[in-house]
Parts: sequence; structure tokens; C-alpha cells
Amino acid sequence: MRKHLRFFPTLFFMLFAQVAFSQQADRITGFFPGISFLRFVELVEGETSYRFYLKELDVKDLTVNLQAKEDKLEDVLTVIFDKTDLKFSISNQKEVFISKGEKLVVKFAPDYFLQNTASSSSLVQDEFVRNRRYTLGTPGPGTEATLSGVITSLENQKPIEGAIVYERESQRQTLTNREGRYEITLPKGDQTLLIQNIGGYTEQRLLNIQGDAALDITIGEGIFSLSEVIVRSGALTNVSRPEMGVQSLSVQQLRKLPAVMGEVDIIRGILTMPGVNTAGEASVGFNVRGGAADQNLILLDQNTLYNPSHLFGFFSAVNSDMVQGVELYKAGIPVSYGGRLSSVLQVTPKAGRQDKIGGSGGIGPMTSRLSLDGPIGKNTTFVVGTRLTYSDWLLDYLEERADLGASRAQFGDFNASIQHQLGEKDKIRASGYFSKDKFQFDPDTVYSYSNLNYALTWTHYFNDDLEADFSAGQDKYDFEVQGEDNPLNSYLYGFDITQTFLKALFRHEKGDRHIFTYGFHGIHYDLNPGKIDPLGAESIVIPDEVPREKGLEASLFLGDEFEVNEKLTLSGGIRLNWFGYFGPQTLPEYAPGEPFLPENIIGETNYGDGELVKSYLGPEMRLSGRYALNNWSSIKAGVNTMRQSIHLLSNSSVITPTDTWKLSDTFIQPQTGIQYALGYFRNLENNAIEFSAELYYRTMNNLLDYRSGATLVLNDRIEQDVLVTKGKAYGVELYLKKVTGKLNGSFAYTYSRSLMLTDPTERKEQVNRSEWYPSNFDQPHTANLVLNYELSRRVNTTLAGKYSTGRPVTLPVAKFEYGGSERVYFADRNSFRIPDYFRLDLSVNLEGNHKVNKVAHGSWSFGVYNILGRDNAYSVYYIPEEGKLNGYQLSIFAEPIPFVSYNFRF
Amino acid sequence: MRKAIWSFLLLYATLQACRTPFDPEVSSEQTSFLVVEGYLDSDGKRSEIKMSRSAPLNVETPFVVESGASLTLTSASGESYGLQESEPGTYVFEADIPEGQTYTLEILLRSGERYQSDAMKPILTPDIIDAGYLQDEEGVEVFVTTQGDENADDFLWTYDETWIYRPRIRVPYIYDASIGDVRDRTEAEQIALCFKSEVSSDILLETSSRFEEQVVFRQTITEIPRGDERIMERYSILVSQKAIEEEAVKFWEILKKNTEDIGSIFSPLPSLIAGNIKSLDDGGIPVVGQVSMGVVRQKRLYINLVDVAPWNYLDPEFNDCIIEADSVLARFYDPIFVSGAVLPARPYIPPGGTVILGYFPTSRRCADCTLYASPITPDFWEDD
Repeated sequence: MRKHLRFFPTLFFMLFAQVAFSQQADRITGFFPGISFLRFVELVEGETSYRFYLKELDVKDLTVNLQAKEDKLEDVLTVIFDKTDLKFSISNQKEVFISKGEKLVVKFAPDYFLQNTASSSSLVQDEFVRNRRYTLGTPGPGTEATLSGVITSLENQKPIEGAIVYERESQRQTLTNREGRYEITLPKGDQTLLIQNIGGYTEQRLLNIQGDAALDITIGEGIFSLSEVIVRSGALTNVSRPEMGVQSLSVQQLRKLPAVMGEVDIIRGILTMPGVNTAGEASVGFNVRGGAADQNLILLDQNTLYNPSHLFGFFSAVNSDMVQGVELYKAGIPVSYGGRLSSVLQVTPKAGRQDKIGGSGGIGPMTSRLSLDGPIGKNTTFVVGTRLTYSDWLLDYLEERADLGASRAQFGDFNASIQHQLGEKDKIRASGYFSKDKFQFDPDTVYSYSNLNYALTWTHYFNDDLEADFSAGQDKYDFEVQGEDNPLNSYLYGFDITQTFLKALFRHEKGDRHIFTYGFHGIHYDLNPGKIDPLGAESIVIPDEVPREKGLEASLFLGDEFEVNEKLTLSGGIRLNWFGYFGPQTLPEYAPGEPFLPENIIGETNYGDGELVKSYLGPEMRLSGRYALNNWSSIKAGVNTMRQSIHLLSNSSVITPTDTWKLSDTFIQPQTGIQYALGYFRNLENNAIEFSAELYYRTMNNLLDYRSGATLVLNDRIEQDVLVTKGKAYGVELYLKKVTGKLNGSFAYTYSRSLMLTDPTERKEQVNRSEWYPSNFDQPHTANLVLNYELSRRVNTTLAGKYSTGRPVTLPVAKFEYGGSERVYFADRNSFRIPDYFRLDLSVNLEGNHKVNKVAHGSWSFGVYNILGRDNAYSVYYIPEEGKLNGYQLSIFAEPIPFVSYNFRF
Repeated sequence: MRKAIWSFLLLYATLQACRTPFDPEVSSEQTSFLVVEGYLDSDGKRSEIKMSRSAPLNVETPFVVESGASLTLTSASGESYGLQESEPGTYVFEADIPEGQTYTLEILLRSGERYQSDAMKPILTPDIIDAGYLQDEEGVEVFVTTQGDENADDFLWTYDETWIYRPRIRVPYIYDASIGDVRDRTEAEQIALCFKSEVSSDILLETSSRFEEQVVFRQTITEIPRGDERIMERYSILVSQKAIEEEAVKFWEILKKNTEDIGSIFSPLPSLIAGNIKSLDDGGIPVVGQVSMGVVRQKRLYINLVDVAPWNYLDPEFNDCIIEADSVLARFYDPIFVSGAVLPARPYIPPGGTVILGYFPTSRRCADCTLYASPITPDFWEDD
């Protein structure tokens, strides 16, 4: 039964003001964001003279998700019906018949009855012409015949240059010349000729070639820009890209996650991915595949962020308004990155827009942010952004009303970048980042730290195949504690690190099958590991300083992405890493073969300024391959080795700013690691669902763990407290993601172990009798769920859940009397676990309306963090109370915490 | 105002945080293990080893001592020296042994468990060069000065304190029920002079090689704040100095750390403690103890109130102590003084008279130091 549908969708039309139809040509223009096909029909019927005839049941589940501009209905319908078994026919009276399976014949081309004419057959562009078979030429000798003709544009009747004309079976092809003329020789018989205009649609003609003939074809040039296509290409990338263990997040995806205090947070976003975990709730330090937090290279554009957090880890240091997206490499790290053992987190900053100056901002309970971007003149764009807290003002205000002690916290950050196009082949970009934190938990101790990064990048396009980035810059991090407990003991403790880098990266496409990446990366480190000075005239604190350390790291790398054939792609490379430790430095000499202990010191060596003390040279290998099983699934495997010459000295399970850094020297060797990974990737339901399963196994050498009672602060002979430690980690990561539909989201489950072992040859101490013990961040089971439900275009709700096994801790288990007092006995290192972690968050985002001429688009985001109010343990500790030692678990966010924030852009 | 509420919530969450009791299950093997403590003197001076058992964290009963064990010190050349149990859990060693070789301590428990120490080498502790005190407006600081040598680099100091404790009111009289009258107290009955003692639990460590010529100059042993009870009249401190091996330093440092440095949000990971005693039956059985050998050097120091005056000791606890203005006449001695709660403090002789008619009383808690300390003068005590 056919039903003739006629609707006047005025209400709908108001919502989508951009939708407009060109009456005269009956062309279709408009933005159709996932509306039902019936709605689409209403819109088309309302604005054009087309009338639709269809079975409602046939199109019940069909949605239209595209943007059209002056496009023909045929082209639009072809896209909509792609991958469905629906067919359409349009009569000369503009009646559109939609049928399932079989196509209805509703009209006949004027030349339909002129079969077998050897002369030209000028075929008018029509859906029908695509699917009927034309007989060309007259039978003659030979097995091949030559077709020639002109390809012209349907829109303006001008010849099209550069259109590809090819035959499906024989794969013979040719290009049209300046006059749109082509000539192709094909075998006689039934052939399918395809004509593709670059950027346009592929036309097809079914031919029965009898002999030489002329064939002029008119094709459409209409270009669709489909929102779906972007997503799909991403989805296919998941299956088709050669690397594995890569997780990408766009800022749009980040915005959908429930935010703590209304702050969109990139690292919290990363934590929803499989294989990424954090040891503490309020910790921005994260662990990737069983690696320590200092084994992650966090890059903001080209700059290394040494501390990616604000306020001891409650917020990410990067303002989300300044970010375009983040990419986390857990395995298959490209050769152009190196220097850390576990992962690379590449934060891509936003580029300034070119049309007009605009901006965005937000107001939340803790912070406000504002950013501005746009063009300056014709070739230059800029982006600036800042974020500030005003909690101090509020603390003052609140102090009279609540007993908050003397807690103070303030932070801020500032980003800026400017990009200039120098002619056609050159681009220059300067960028900078600065962040500062200052806080105190009691009136006498003030902690502060800051990041300062800047870089200059020059991109040059040598030719179509070769481009290069040259960048130079500096990354600084410094930390300070000011203690003023009493005037006699007042002190100023701090450490800082300055790294200066130079990088050249070439990308060279060779033919269709190779993409070479090669270049050089040099880093100069200048590190002050720790320094204490008296503060104030009365202070009797003795100044102490661990000597400055200087190092130089140079890497040469060469990588190739090689498409062996359609199914197999290999990607691999080598990165040769040299690290040198330089004077001035005074190092002890230990008796050969003896452990690094004070009693084994037999002498001392002085090294002059700039003198090479010790160097290490080693290769890092990368190899991964993808084998496509079919269009929607692939298998990937990879192995890569990494080296790391800068280490975080941390005796604590989460990164705290007091943890200082150390360069590899004569005694502390670079950490090395190898990772083997295997993965299966599959897209389901027409790429709407992505699934991946990855297995990995890693081993690590020269990790740092410490002997009992080690002091890490101001320890200038740290090798006496470091235990040579091996690590291994293995796991499986399952990831399921639904990218489209009203209900979308992801689910990730990870089983992973991360273990450590004091090297049996270590003579200083054997932790847990030199048996494998769990690392501080060994959390076997982790599951993450993100569910997004779009109630409407303007309202979208998100539920996010996280579960993980409690992290290992070392606990006191007994007490005993010794030295005249009661003492505490701790069990084996990391032999207990804090309770499991589980949290659910909910947020609702309310978008403002989408009128084009509004001054600013605003959105509200509100929700509840930890909606169940579960008091997840952050740490456990014991304190003596009335002569008894009592254990407590400390929870940071133990109650549901509501939040609201307002965001806007203009 | 709305913002204020949100902020408050955040601060509540971040800065106040939230704590709840945590009580994990722990196996009994981990909670009751052998603890060995002691320093063996190689010079023939009496020294002792104490052995006890550890206990779970949440019990409040005293620690169980390990009695009935047999302990033997064996030299590398084969000589054995036994230790005698003087009181339950305390084993005495008294032998002058050659310092030139290494020794191991073997422990056999009543239960049959066997333990052994690592090889130990006696260290001849250098003498205390000087012990003294410094004073300023804050109080008194007791120090020692010593010098390390190539054998003795690391030092451990412990100290015992003893001081005279006086009651607020001194009562030289006693009511003797057998004669029904008040008389002077005998030496044995005196309640106005007592001694308090304390064994310090401080762990004082220093490495002499940190200093020029290995001289540890004026190492602080203890600080007595001005007005402290300890120098109410005369104070004595016995400082013991032991040179220990580096392994022992680590042991004591960990011990110190595990007691003091736990509980804050940014605490470092705790340290595991063991020592130089190992189980011979099963290497996995925990045992805590670091036994060292050598010579103990000691120095005793006295500080008198007059040397540090004005000291201004005043215990407000006794501020209500007075001698009553109304005397107790002789016929009331028995009913009032017999219980001992009220003491005859001063005689009542009426003006112009010569006969004691009665006594002005005071309460016992103001006058009897034996309630708080020991009336027995320690053997070592020297008056000036």
C-alpha cells in the first residue's frame, strides 16, 4: 500500500534555519542532522515540486544525516540509500518512487529505442541511465574496441578536465584532457564504465561494446559535505591504521564526559580509555599499561609538560578550550617520539579560526576561563586563552562562616599561539604556555610550582611529497616549598628543570605505498635536583644543595609506513638514542664489583664544566603491522622498544610535586623496555560500533625502586638508595564503542598486571626476598563505562562509571616494643590492597539554541560527581590515638558533589 | 552566594577530605613474631638481650616476653658463651671476650624455633670526650662531644634520666597509732624526697664522618624546657654511647621512620624492617632485631636547680595545697590522722607557750612524694 505523504514542516523549519531549497532548479540545500527519512520527505516536498511515493514500513528505520548544498535529489537519495536495499526512480513529472529490492521503471530515456546506433549517444544524466545497458558500436573484427567522447558538467555544460574514466573489471583507466575528451580501449562485451570526477560522484554506465564508438557523458559536480563521513573515517581508521594501542579523543568527546567541578579535563578523559589508570583519585599522574607515571611523555604541541596538573592533581593543567584533541599512544609509538618508557600523550592545541575573531569561555565554581582566536590580517591567526581561580577571594569570604583553617589555593594558566603563513610553502607558529600553582594546607607551609613552555615551529612544504617541521623551544618546571613553622627553622626548598630542545621532522611520501618519517631530536637538560636555604635572618637551617646536573640527549630517527598491498600495511622504524651526562660534577668511585654503598667508596673524580662524564647509546625499535581481514576487521601486531634517561624519584604511589627528577649518570642507567602487542579490531553495524581487543606483554629494566628507609629529598648519592629493579606488565584490553545514534558511548575493560622484582644481583636489599611483587599501580581489573543519551539536539545526558581493583599498599600489621617505645611493623611491600574503587557520575549538558545571528552560544553543564556517594579510598594510613594505632582510609570525594558551570562561545 | 556554596563543597572535599576506619584482615603469622633487642658488651660489663613477641595492632594487653629460650654467642674460632635468663625474657651476658673476631648469636626458643644472627664484629666505642649542658631562655640542652675513628663512624646514643622529686609541702612528722601521738619520721618513713626515672625512647643517630676530623661536637641528647619538673632540685642524666655498624644505623633509622612518619596524605611509602636476626627454620618467618656488639661508653651528668635558676617550676596541680589554719588538737589526733589521708604538717605552739598543743594539718596528696615517685635513693646517686 502506498501512501502519499504531504506535510508542512514549519515548526521543524524554525529549528534549522539553515535549511533552504532552491525552487527553480529543485535543488536541495540544507543541514539534515540525523532526522528520520519521513521528516526529510516532508521537508523536500514542502520546498520542491517533488512528490514521494513509498511504503512507510520500508523507510521506518532510515535516518538522514548529511549536509547538502544545491545538490540534486538523485545524488542525495543515492547517498541516503547507500548500503540499504532501497531503490528509487524519478519520473519526468517529478514523482519519486521508492521501492525495496527491485527498481521501478518509470520513464524511458529519449534514446531508449535507438539501440545499436553506431553514432554518438549523448546520455542525459539520470538515475535510470546508470542502470540500463547500452549497446555501442557495430560488431567487427578484434576483441577490443575504442571508446571516445567528452565528459561535460551537468551544472554548467563545461568540459571537465581530469575526470577518471575506468572500467571495473579490466581496471583500464584514463583521464580526460583539458577539453574533457577521453579515449579508452576496452574488451568487447558487457563492461561497466565508471567516470569519477575528483571530489564528486562516480557515474556509471553499463555497456555492451560491439565495436568502436563515441560516448559523451554529462556528470554532476555537486559536492556533498557529510557530517557522517568524518565519523566514519575515524571509525575506519581504527581498523585500518597500522599502529595499535592508539587512543584519540576530540574535545567534543571530552565535553560529553561528566566534569569535576564543571571543568572539562583531558586527563580524566584519557582515563576512560582501556589500559589507562590512575593510582589516586585526585591524581593527574596516570599509569599506562603498568608503567609508572613518569614514563608518560606529555606533549602540549611540541612542549613537554613536567607537571600536567593543577592543585596537586585535581585539575589538568591544560585548559580544554585551547585543545583540539588528544592522542595517547600506548604502543606503536611513532619514531618521532621517544624518551619515555610507557606512552606518549600528544595534546594538539586549537588553531585560530580564519573567518572572524571569536572566542569561548566558561564560568565554574572554582575557575573561569576565557579564550579568543581569529585572524590578524590575511595570513596570520592567533589563539590566546587563560584560566584563573578565584577561590582565594571566596576563602576569605568563607573564613568568617566556616572553619576552613588557613587553607589557600590558587592557580592559573595562560596559553597563546600565533601562526603566520609565509607564502604558499611556509608556515611559522610561535606558542607559549605558562601555569602557576600556589597552595597551603596549614598556615606555615606554602607550596608553589610553575610550568613555562615556549616553542617556535617552522613548517616548510618542499613539494607535494615532502614536508618538514623545524621546531625549537624550552620547557621549564620549578617547584618550591616555603616553610615558616618557626623562625629558627624557616626554609625555602625547591628544585627546577629546564630543557631546551631542537627538533627536525621530515615527512616524505614516496609513491603511493611509502610514507617516510625521519629527523633529529635534541634535548639539553639542566636540572637542579634540590636545594634548601634558610628563610629569614633568624633561621638556622643549613643551606644544602644537590649539585646541578646537565645532560644532552640526541636522537636520530627513521620510520616508514609501507602499504605492502591493500590488506597488509607495515610500519616500522628505528630511533637511535644517545644520552650524555656532563660536568661540572664530582662523583665517587666505588670499588669494582661492590654495591654502591658509602663503605665501598674508594675515591672521587672531578669532572670539569662541559666534560662528558658518561654516555649511553642505544637503539629504539618500532615495528607494527596491520592485516585487513576485510573492510571491517583487521589484525594488528607490534613490538617496540623504548629508552628513558630522566627519572622521577618518587617513593610515593602518586606523583606529588615534591618528587624530584634525576638524570641517568654513571650509576643510574637509562630505563629500557620492550612491549609486544597483538590486537583484533572490528567495526560492526555499518561502522556504528567499534570493537577492539588488545593483548600486551612488556618487560622493563633499570626501574627505580628504593631500599627501606631511603630519603629521596636532597639526597646527592641516590644510587646508594636505589635498588636495581626489573619490571614486567601484561594484560588484555577490550573496548567497545558506539559512535552514532541517540544512545552512544563506550565500554572498556582491562585486565592487567604490573609487577616488579629486585634484581637478584642487587646486594643492598632484596625487596620481598627478591620475589615478584606488585607495583604501586598494579590494579588487575579496570572497567570504564560512558553512556551518552541525546534527548534532543539541545539536551544530552551522560552517565560515566569507573571500577578498578584497589591499588597495592604496604600496611602496618603488628606492633612491638623496641628501644623503649612501641614500634610498628610493616608487612611485605605492597602485599595489601586498598578497597576497590567504584564511582558513577552524571551530567546534563544544555545547549542554547542554534540561531545563526545570536551574539554568543551558551551552554549549561550540571551534574553530580560520585552520585552514589561512595567513599572510595584514596589512601590508607595509621595514626596513634590514645596509645593505640588505628587505621583509617582517606577519601577525597566521599560524597556526591554537585556542580554547575556555564560555557559560552562567540 | 551560590558560588560560595559550590566552593565550600569543593573545599570540604579537597581539604577536609573524609576518613573512615580501615581494618584489613591480617594473618597471625605476621602479627606474632620474635623481637630481639640488645647490645652485647665485649669488655665484661653486664649487658642484656631482651626477647619478646609482637602483637596485633589493636590489642591493648602488654607484650608477651619470650622466656625459657637458650642463647649462645659463638665466636668464629669456635668459643661459646652462654647467656643467663635473669628475669623472664631478659638474658644477661657478662664476659670479656676478644674483640678481634666475629661472633654469631644463636637463639633456641622453648618452642623449638631456631634463629641466628649475622656475623657481628665488636666495635670499640671511643670515649665521650665531653658531656655538658647549655642553657638559654628556652631551657637546658644536654650534649655530648665525641670523635669517631676508622672503626667507629656511626653512633647511637640512649640516655636514662633521674631526678629528685619533692612534694609541695614537706612533712617531717608522722602520727604513730601505737603511741597515739605524733612523732618525727625516721629515714625510712620520709616522704619528702623521692626520685623519678625515665628511660628515653629517643633514637639519636649521628655519623661522625660528616664532620671534620670525625668530631661530633655538642651532639644534642635532650632538651629540657624551662620550668620542667625534671630540674625542680637536682637532675641526673646517664648518656650511653655506642658505636654501631652501618647496617644497624639503617635499622634504627627505619625504626624511627616507621614510628614517626606515617599518616599524612603525602606520606612516602613505609619502610620494611628486619635486622640481623634470621630464622633458621624458614626464611619467610618475620623476625625483628638488630643485635650489636662492642663497648658501651657512658657519662653521668648532674644539673642543680641553682645552676639554672630562675627555673620557675610550678605544678598547678598542687596550687590548692595549703597547711590548714585550724590546728588539730591532741585529743583529735586519732580520728583525724589515723587514716593517713590527713598529715600533721606543722606543730601548734600557742604564743608564749612551749608545749605543742596540736598540729596544723595538710592533705596527703600535697605532702607525700611516694604517691608519684620512689622514695629510695638510687645506688649511683651522688649529692653535691
